[in-house]
Amino acid sequence: MTTEPKHAEKISLFISRSNISTEINKTGTWRFVRPKYHEKTAPCSAACPAGEDIARIEMLSNQGRYQDAVETILLENPFPSVCGRVCFHPCETVCNRAGFDDPVAIHALERFIGDIAIRDELTLKLKKFPENGKTVCIVGAGPSGLAAGYFLSQLGYSCDIYEARSEPGGILRWGIPRYRLPDDVVASEIERIKKTGVKIICNTPVTQNFLQDVKDRYHALFIGCGHGRSLKMNIPGENLAFNGLEFLNLLRKRKAVPSNGTTAVIGGGNTAIDVARSLVRLGATTTLVYRRRKQDMPAFKDEVEMADKEGVRIMELYSPLEINEDDGEYVLSLQRMKTSGMETDRGRARVVPDGQAIQHLRVRKIIVAIGAEPSTPWQFPSHKNAETLYLGHCTFTASEPPLLFGGDLTNTIKSVPDAVASGKQAAMALDIFFKQGRHAITDRLNSCLVGNGPALSMECYMGGKRWVRNPHIVSYDDINLDYFSQTPRVESESLAINKRMNSFDEIEATFTLNQAMEETRRCFNCGICNACDNCRIFCPEIAVILQGAKRQINLDYCKGCGICVFECPRSAMDLEEEL
Amino acid sequence: MKHVLEGSHAVSEAVRLAKVQVVSAYPITPQTHIVEALSEYCSDGTMNARFLCVESEHSAMAAVIGASSAGVRTFTATSSQGLALMHELLHWSSAARLPIVMAEVNRALAPGWNIWMDQTDSLAQRDTGWIQLYCEDGQEVFDTTLQAYRLAETVNLPVMVVLDAFFLSHTFEPVDIPDQELVDRFLPPFSPRIALDTSDPFAMGQMAPPNVYMEMRHDIQKAMEQVSDIFAKVEEEFTEIFGRTYGMVEKVYCNDAQVIMVVTGTAASTCRKVISDLRSQGEKVGMLKLKMFRPFPTDLIREHLGHVQKVAVVDRNFSFGASGIFAQEIRAALCNTLKHPPVFGYITGLGGRDVTPEILTEIYWKTKHSSAPEDESVWIGLLD
Repeated sequence: MTTEPKHAEKISLFISRSNISTEINKTGTWRFVRPKYHEKTAPCSAACPAGEDIARIEMLSNQGRYQDAVETILLENPFPSVCGRVCFHPCETVCNRAGFDDPVAIHALERFIGDIAIRDELTLKLKKFPENGKTVCIVGAGPSGLAAGYFLSQLGYSCDIYEARSEPGGILRWGIPRYRLPDDVVASEIERIKKTGVKIICNTPVTQNFLQDVKDRYHALFIGCGHGRSLKMNIPGENLAFNGLEFLNLLRKRKAVPSNGTTAVIGGGNTAIDVARSLVRLGATTTLVYRRRKQDMPAFKDEVEMADKEGVRIMELYSPLEINEDDGEYVLSLQRMKTSGMETDRGRARVVPDGQAIQHLRVRKIIVAIGAEPSTPWQFPSHKNAETLYLGHCTFTASEPPLLFGGDLTNTIKSVPDAVASGKQAAMALDIFFKQGRHAITDRLNSCLVGNGPALSMECYMGGKRWVRNPHIVSYDDINLDYFSQTPRVESESLAINKRMNSFDEIEATFTLNQAMEETRRCFNCGICNACDNCRIFCPEIAVILQGAKRQINLDYCKGCGICVFECPRSAMDLEEEL
Repeated sequence: MKHVLEGSHAVSEAVRLAKVQVVSAYPITPQTHIVEALSEYCSDGTMNARFLCVESEHSAMAAVIGASSAGVRTFTATSSQGLALMHELLHWSSAARLPIVMAEVNRALAPGWNIWMDQTDSLAQRDTGWIQLYCEDGQEVFDTTLQAYRLAETVNLPVMVVLDAFFLSHTFEPVDIPDQELVDRFLPPFSPRIALDTSDPFAMGQMAPPNVYMEMRHDIQKAMEQVSDIFAKVEEEFTEIFGRTYGMVEKVYCNDAQVIMVVTGTAASTCRKVISDLRSQGEKVGMLKLKMFRPFPTDLIREHLGHVQKVAVVDRNFSFGASGIFAQEIRAALCNTLKHPPVFGYITGLGGRDVTPEILTEIYWKTKHSSAPEDESVWIGLLD
């Protein structure tokens, strides 16, 4: 084959060409702005009550670094498998990917990573402060007490958790039904907490007297006993109704709860929904009665939707008046309600009786779940107490010894991740108190906020790398969308509706490895360097140097053009003016 | 085998058969169909080539400059504003002696916005060091694109293959598309004389002080001066394989003509009909189709037009403050010959206006009946 054109020899080709290196031309002298690797805060992590470093966790899983992913979660939350099942995932609501196609399935991915930790029995290397010889008494082995014990043990404290029931877990073990949260998941995560050195003493109800007796033996007290007693409706015939928490408790004890025929559940919170959905599984025809509008229910929206799908009939705007027994059945008298403007503080509609409209509901059983309160009347510090710090997820009183309240006792949102947040905040507050005194607590906590809060990061508190991250929350506009293509969100397998009727089997399946890979690939990794190498590839001066896994800017040649910052898909770089 | 193709796709087919390795372009009407087809060929594997999506024509040219410097065969296409945006890099690519081939679809410049036929865009780039070849129909634009690679890679200068907006780019005609084997015989794989090589790094295009710059520019001109010889040889080989030939200029009825009309692009087809009609009425009229504009075929112009009585130049372009650009060039070519004919310049068909047989006939009669040009440029068909 001819390669050299026939006339080539005749044509002169005089162009400038040099074999001398151009390194002598230090283009860095042209620069007046410089690029900088500066990681920022992903919106998901700022919205997570536990402050998990989600963007980084998804990156690590996508790189197959599961051990690192698990350790990164566990720095902030001892319950990934639990939260991956029962959390209301505010992270997904704010996910930047929602503006592009669909939010990343963060909730399902958390569960996947949590389950890997359990399945593979990973030996974890979690950072721990040296033991400081201080012991903390924790009341209640529910999620907040367990979290407090877990985080305190990370910070070098030894902890005794006192639990009234025969097994630890609180709402996780005795409340949330198995179809949402299987026993073995709870047991495995509690086992891991125990391994950090936390001691759990069951069958030991804690009373004021008990506390008086033991307080000299401890350096601090944390009360996280939760809301164990149901609120009363204060209507005639109330004694004929069954208690929702008790009902769930019996189910969890696997005691037979005969529930066929029509059943009414009164309430609109998560407990009411759990009860209603459990009844469906026991074969009952279930009606949920709520005095306000359906959209004002305090239960998480997903849960209400599931109840709807599973055939729970929801009667909104009916308030119970009285219960009467009639021929082995019950007649529930209901007052029709109507809306009357909005409540200014809670964003829900105010309701008032709608004239004399009364309806009667004939049922085989009535279960009440309208809310709960602490089962022991603790001397909870009033908001007027100047000695007490109200920190958001817990209260701190510098008594002798210091006293903290947390969990549902102090949280506005009564959820598992908020309980974790409570345990974490309490552990940090106490540690700051012992090291720097009461006055330092607020400022030091503020320095560990994820983004602008309210979530706190234990990794930051313990001096981890997350400390240097910019609190700026990466917005949709900060993402360079040229590097992403629309991909459908991966949904986990779920049990068909008809198969849920007679079974307490878990509804959702954990992601498979392939599903998790596919879904983590969708994550923008907002604000986090995931080593995509765009900065290095696009640098016209070859001024991005790769040293091991670390990228650095060679300022001798970086002329400050900003291409690296522009081409960073995820806003992990900034341009700074030269001083 | 003949296919009914629009002019744009005749170009795309030639680029495919030329086994171009890097295509980079930014869409602009009326060029878009060319690279649309190529992007499909790149993505579906029909072509073993990279298609680089860029954010502007400036970047498209920069991308093919990079690729060509690395020693691969490249292609881009543009029109009008896009070509204007490339301007800086047109100078760069020729002075770097890179054999880039570009299809340029003649389109009017804005404002007012106009996407139609007008030659001012490509003619405004006449001093950039690019070879320019103007085509008449689908077959010619296909053939010229293949020839352009041979020419460019031999003289180390970039080539612009120019075609009329819509009249050629969007008109369907039967075009003979040869087998790959035949094309391979005509156009061997690109063997660059100089190419960047990471295993033997060197720099190109850096500082050229006064003691060498002028020589470098002279060197480009020397290469340009050899283009007509080389083009003739390339065409000879092309004719051997494909049986078609065009020439740098084509003369029609010129031998005994008293008036010769100089035309370019698709207007040449219209003019063929006009000439033949006028001939049948006994008029001694001829036509010179100008295919190569850079380098300007001065010798051929002198040879064919030097002794005719009158020359009428049809310009679908205009240089403001001067005259039609082809007319200027033809005057310049003739002025140093003795007893050269008067050159009548006519401006017509700007911004997509039709150049009809009636207009060309009018130009002929006007020229025949005037002893001297009434003006440097006479605008035909202006509305009152």
